[in-house]
Amino acid sequence: MSRLLLLALLAAPAAPPDPTALLQRAEKAVLGENAVYTMRMGVQRPGKPERVVEMKGFKKGDERGLLRYTDPPKERGTAYLRVAGSTWLWLPSAEKAVRVGAKQNFGGGDFSNGDIFRLSLSRDYVATLAGAESALGQECWKLELKARDRSVAYDRVLMWVRRDGTDFPVRIEYFTLSGRKLKWLTFSDVGRLGAHTRPRLLVMESALESGQRTELRFLTIDDNPRLEDRLFTPSALERGE
Amino acid sequence: MRRVGLALVLALLPAPLRARELELGLENFYYRTAPTLLNAGNVLGLAGREDLLRGTLRYREALGASVRLVASGYVQRRLGARGDTEWKARQAYVQWSAGELLTVRAGRQRIAWGSGFAWNPTNRVEAPKNPLNTSLEQQGALAVRLDLVPSAWSGLTLVAARSVIESGDLPFAVRQPARRTAALRARFLVKDTDLALVFSGGAGQRTLVGLDLGRTLGAVALHAEAAAYRGAEIAPPRDGQRFLRLVAGLLWTRGEHLTLSAEYFWNGEGYLDPRRQDWLGRLRTSAALAADPLAPPELRQRAAAEYLATAGIPFAAGLGLGRHYVQGSWTSRLSAGRWTTSARAVLGLSDGSLALTPGLEWAPRGDLTLAVDAITLLGPAESEFRLAPLRTALQARLKVHF
Repeated sequence: MSRLLLLALLAAPAAPPDPTALLQRAEKAVLGENAVYTMRMGVQRPGKPERVVEMKGFKKGDERGLLRYTDPPKERGTAYLRVAGSTWLWLPSAEKAVRVGAKQNFGGGDFSNGDIFRLSLSRDYVATLAGAESALGQECWKLELKARDRSVAYDRVLMWVRRDGTDFPVRIEYFTLSGRKLKWLTFSDVGRLGAHTRPRLLVMESALESGQRTELRFLTIDDNPRLEDRLFTPSALERGE
Repeated sequence: MRRVGLALVLALLPAPLRARELELGLENFYYRTAPTLLNAGNVLGLAGREDLLRGTLRYREALGASVRLVASGYVQRRLGARGDTEWKARQAYVQWSAGELLTVRAGRQRIAWGSGFAWNPTNRVEAPKNPLNTSLEQQGALAVRLDLVPSAWSGLTLVAARSVIESGDLPFAVRQPARRTAALRARFLVKDTDLALVFSGGAGQRTLVGLDLGRTLGAVALHAEAAAYRGAEIAPPRDGQRFLRLVAGLLWTRGEHLTLSAEYFWNGEGYLDPRRQDWLGRLRTSAALAADPLAPPELRQRAAAEYLATAGIPFAAGLGLGRHYVQGSWTSRLSAGRWTTSARAVLGLSDGSLALTPGLEWAPRGDLTLAVDAITLLGPAESEFRLAPLRTALQARLKVHF
């Protein structure tokens, strides 16, 4: 009898999840609340050599992020700092931190500063469940996110999240206020990195310029670092790592 | 020389990957000189063409999590009227940090504070940067600096420094007396706005109170930096008068591909036309008298001394002799950052001086860069930039990073 009950439960369609909770779980799939990580970014443009930079990143909560370039040598020391709505770029040659816009693209690639440092989509967007459909060969929940205000880079975002219990994001599409698709992000190469299994490769492709794409490959992730808020200040940029 | 030797020895010691950064370079600054009122009778002893050829070294090393060593300097051979060789340490300091709370630096170092791109009126601790080419590496001041970060939204910097204002990167030496400065900068982040208060003073200089603001509006980053003080830094001293210097500007970036910036500088004590004409008159009179073979030798000597003091004023002024300036710059990175083109223009609104600095950088590999900047000084005869005893400069810098 109990086996029959179990089979009946497994066969029943899964109840639709709470979209906000699903979004919160999905956005922590790659990097958790706090993290120290290294990654390689490759910017690809048609007919041009790929630009590859390596970085070390620090993330604390939804408000604070710091990324330092570690390679190539000529770019070593360049760093981006994000605290809430402010972004600074540290220029080692000038030994100076200058403010830059959050909506600008990051490192000359297809990610914006906001994409890299937006550590909480659920804070900036209202999520609704837009159904269930397949994406990149995975059964997914489809979430539609609407911007809470115009301070964010995209008015509307579509997100596909795996239904297999992992809640890993599979694909994200970004739209302007006019409804034009700007770019899309895919998550792949799921595997163990640090203490968890997670997508290790993120690829952002431009919907406006054919062949323009930027790859972010996570190389190491420490999920439980102790990070002080004071690490995320312009003073820390001046001090260097 | 011993300090350079020490830096080289440290650079050669084994170290874990990425804990050490080393950069070797070759610089050639070529100048075409011109006889102007600031070099009457060629008192600076310049040849028609002057070259500065330099071998440079920059070294940084982290020793554990809390100690960092930084050294940079150059050996220079002057090729022109004189063929002398000298070496200079731009920076040589030790930094010690106690976590994120406290950092202490001691030695020759850049202070580099202030949000202005070309002019920093709140920074009188060290020699001002060259507004015509802000990418040149600057000479640091001998200083002890303490950075305290009590919270994520506030910070305090205390500096005690001994600095010498020199005409770095020029084919002639204009050196001001050394000055000792104590300065304090309190920084706050309030509602996504950077706010800093500065207090700076010491022997041989004016005490200033400064304010520095920075905020991002959409894609544009705005900044304003101001300093108020009593008494002028440019001769005449005008001791009882209050002055204000203000820089306001903006920066627009498109990723790291494209950067546009613009800045306005109000130099409250800068010369307006009557004072400028008076200064030019004194230059002409003293130069003529010093060169007059019929004048008594004592009078000629006095005139020569007056000429040198008067001609040195623009170099002592540091931030500029005029009242109003604007600068604009454009930088574009092409071909995955292999090529960077730039253009800078500085315009003296008070007298029509114009300096144009186009530049090109080539980075064929991730560890090699070659940058060339050309400076052309234009404007009416006897305007500020045209008075400089130079017409054009070609500044080439090759760097290899390890």
